[in-house]
Amino acid sequence: MKESLINVNLIGARLLDPLQSIDKVSNLYIRSGKMYLDPPDEKTDSDVKDILLKDHIIIPGAFDMRVHSRIPDPESCETFESLSRAASRGGFTGILTMPDTSPCCDNAGTITYIQDRIKQHSSIPIWVSGALTKGREGHVMAPLGSLKEAGIVAATDCPRPSVNSQIFLNTVQYAKMFDLPVIEFPQDFQLSHEGNAHESPLSLKMGIGGYPRVAEEIAVQRAIAVAKLLEVNIHLSSISSAGSVAALRHAKEDGIKITADVTATHLLLNENAIQYYDTNAKLSPPLREEEDRIQLIQGVLDGSIDAITSAHLPHPSHLKQIEFDKSPPGAIGLETSISASIEGLTTLCKDPYPALVNAFCYAPRRALKLNQHSIQNNELANLTVINGSCKWKYNVDIDNSNASNSPLNNHTFNTNVVYTVANGRVVYCSI
Amino acid sequence: MSKWVRNSLLGLEDLSEFEIMKIIETAESFALQEPKQSSEKSLLSGYRIINLFMEPSTRTRVAFEIAAKSLGADVISISGEASSLTKGESLKDTALNVKALGADAIVIRHSSPGSPLLLSRIVDLPIINAGDGAHEHPSQGLLDIFTLRQKLGEIKGKRITILGDILFSRVARSNLFGLTTLGAKVTLAGPSTLVPKEFSQMGARVTHNLEEALVDADAVMLLRIQHERQSAKHFPSLSEYSKMFGLNNRVLNYMKKEAVVLHPGPLNRGVEIESELADSNRALILNQVKNGIAVRMAILYLCTRSNNLS
Repeated sequence: MKESLINVNLIGARLLDPLQSIDKVSNLYIRSGKMYLDPPDEKTDSDVKDILLKDHIIIPGAFDMRVHSRIPDPESCETFESLSRAASRGGFTGILTMPDTSPCCDNAGTITYIQDRIKQHSSIPIWVSGALTKGREGHVMAPLGSLKEAGIVAATDCPRPSVNSQIFLNTVQYAKMFDLPVIEFPQDFQLSHEGNAHESPLSLKMGIGGYPRVAEEIAVQRAIAVAKLLEVNIHLSSISSAGSVAALRHAKEDGIKITADVTATHLLLNENAIQYYDTNAKLSPPLREEEDRIQLIQGVLDGSIDAITSAHLPHPSHLKQIEFDKSPPGAIGLETSISASIEGLTTLCKDPYPALVNAFCYAPRRALKLNQHSIQNNELANLTVINGSCKWKYNVDIDNSNASNSPLNNHTFNTNVVYTVANGRVVYCSI
Repeated sequence: MSKWVRNSLLGLEDLSEFEIMKIIETAESFALQEPKQSSEKSLLSGYRIINLFMEPSTRTRVAFEIAAKSLGADVISISGEASSLTKGESLKDTALNVKALGADAIVIRHSSPGSPLLLSRIVDLPIINAGDGAHEHPSQGLLDIFTLRQKLGEIKGKRITILGDILFSRVARSNLFGLTTLGAKVTLAGPSTLVPKEFSQMGARVTHNLEEALVDADAVMLLRIQHERQSAKHFPSLSEYSKMFGLNNRVLNYMKKEAVVLHPGPLNRGVEIESELADSNRALILNQVKNGIAVRMAILYLCTRSNNLS
């Protein structure tokens, strides 16, 4: 059942929406789901709840552009109900699902089926991406025009790379006709497909096959070259190497249309998380060295990296309680990615929130050509409220996701999402 | 005063000098006994040791079997092909079943690095790593140290060169960890594609020059070239490998006269080592095999009886 449109006074929080030139401690008044920066002219006895939000930050509703719902999939443990609950808890008012479903999102029928499930079970808006190639195998173009008509907002084979450069170039060119954003997962398969971890002294010591930086950097350079040639934007998913950040920075300085995201986990953790063969910390791309983590944070702060994602990828526990090299990569992250990102960004800056708004609110919507959410008078409220000063310990057992494969179990965070409003309705509240 | 407290042996990386020497000295005491008349026969009497060998193995599996039987334990060996793992059973379920069948300790060989650690988290039994992927092979490392001590005396300060496929070798890693803990100066040598420079961060000298690797070595430890897996990607051919990095009479000219040669087996005669050299007095290959029994007796004894030892 849908919650009703809210009437509430949000008192004393930091309102932050740089695109609207808003950064001030103030009150925000919501009536029938719509926002007002000044007190509404109403009778004093109106039944409106005051919520005191000292040390809290209110930002436009966050968006997560890499979520693997794995619905449909016989192995999936998630439903759109659990997924949207986890997303709301994490502060997201919108998410984009990846096409790695079974059957895969390379046909309009599957897209329509997924959209129906979303409509029935999700508490927040969920957008769907389609496959770039048939079966996400990289050999034959997917019917991108038909998929766009069915409602996809991006095409990608994530978490697989485009394995054939000619098909990749042609697909980007073809998608351009439909103004369809392309998200590329930058990975040279030949250089990395046996790799279970970042290639480093640590993985060498552990005896596990390496997924070197160069496997990503070659693919990043290819995407930059294609974006330059075709004069079209390509979005790169889940950048993990310091060299990729440098390449993106140079490409942007040269005016090439390239954007990119990084996962929140990569901003918080480095490869040390796998040193005891923790399969929950086995990610794709892998967690790399501290110097990479620092450059990823720097990239978000200086705009070389545009967006942050959760890369939420649920796996049933029996697939994570096995040998490290046999366990599939990926971790859940919807509930932790905003707090993890704040903690990561705080490594290099005192006030991470402006960068956070850009990376979680503006950049994903811009990359997907969706309308921006903003804090404006008379606009339907889409808000994420973060307590900027509180300690809480993450416990996978009470995560709303049906999966529990997180490397952050028992991690203590210093900030927390406490209130999420989507389309004027409260979808999460812990205050 | 230090004492042995471990009930599992997952690798040599975390072992202290005391712990390595405790195993070596315990093995030395076993090696002095006449096996068939030994009083050790009753040390593990009534114990049930399960050898869970998910990868092919001859000498390690047999050595563990003989070691366990020499201590009076019952031994049951399960191979990968004969186990339910081929029917899709997970390592977790196999381990829980093995425990339910009354195992007192599990010796595991597995192609996945870290699988002994995984096993130790699943069952509260002594776990002995008999080789996990390219990670560690601690019993081989210990028997190599044991053999080196027999010939060279104290390990500290000795120059040991490990030559060959270091990248994929669990033997190289265990030896590197064990030997450096005991104070040896370890050189890793071989083609640059099989000996990444990052190994130097683990306390080894890395070189791709054979003469430099051998000239001051007190011992040369050869590793088997796994040509069935690596040849196409990491070096052009076995004959090229043999010519550039094989141990032959030509390179003997720049080795110390007293330098000894070890090889964990199985040997590729004519590839890593010239056949006559493998049969010469320099080669300690059969000593290694023989010493493997005493070392594995020591490992089984210390790990299964650790609670009773002071």
